[in-house]
Amino acid sequence: MSRLLYVHTGGVGTPERSATPIYLATTAAAMDVEVGIYFTVNGPTLLKKGVAESLIVPKYDGHGAPLRRFIDQALDMGVKFYVCQPSLDLHGLTQEDLIDGVQMIGGAAFNDMALEADQVICF
Amino acid sequence: MGDMPTPDRTLDAKGLLCPMPIVKLAKAMKELEASQVILLEATDPGSVPDVTAWSKNTGNPLLAHETDGKVMRFWIQKS
Repeated sequence: MSRLLYVHTGGVGTPERSATPIYLATTAAAMDVEVGIYFTVNGPTLLKKGVAESLIVPKYDGHGAPLRRFIDQALDMGVKFYVCQPSLDLHGLTQEDLIDGVQMIGGAAFNDMALEADQVICF
Repeated sequence: MGDMPTPDRTLDAKGLLCPMPIVKLAKAMKELEASQVILLEATDPGSVPDVTAWSKNTGNPLLAHETDGKVMRFWIQKS
């Protein structure tokens, strides 16, 4: 099975950047690709409980959808979500603050996943 | 449509945008038996390259497709 690893650095301050890596990963999962998203830098702010429900992914006509919809689609299709501790510390977050389904890893595990993946795609 | 394969199931993805047609197709495919055929109808303008790429990567053959105005139809067989 092919493997893709997405790196998501966008946070709540850039809602227009929030959904794209997530729905591309969802599509990859639908193509029978083993796929994960590593949320780092500002990415973990998207995973704080209660945030994605009210974060609207903008659309030109003002009728955007909440990010939570994209997150639920991804988790439902089997996309794995990863964070690491330093990027949580950057925002004063702990794992308990995050939505269910997010796995803690460290830098070595991330690098290992990157080496094992067929492609790493960074946002 | 006379010489198109007879589908075992039809999936209406008209009006849905990327990635939902592909996500719904992947889910529907899991419910089919091997060699059964699904007819996918979609209006997302990227559907032809998307379904072609999906078929290539999952190994489920795209038997035929046609464009009828804004509606694209795809006959896909479960491998």
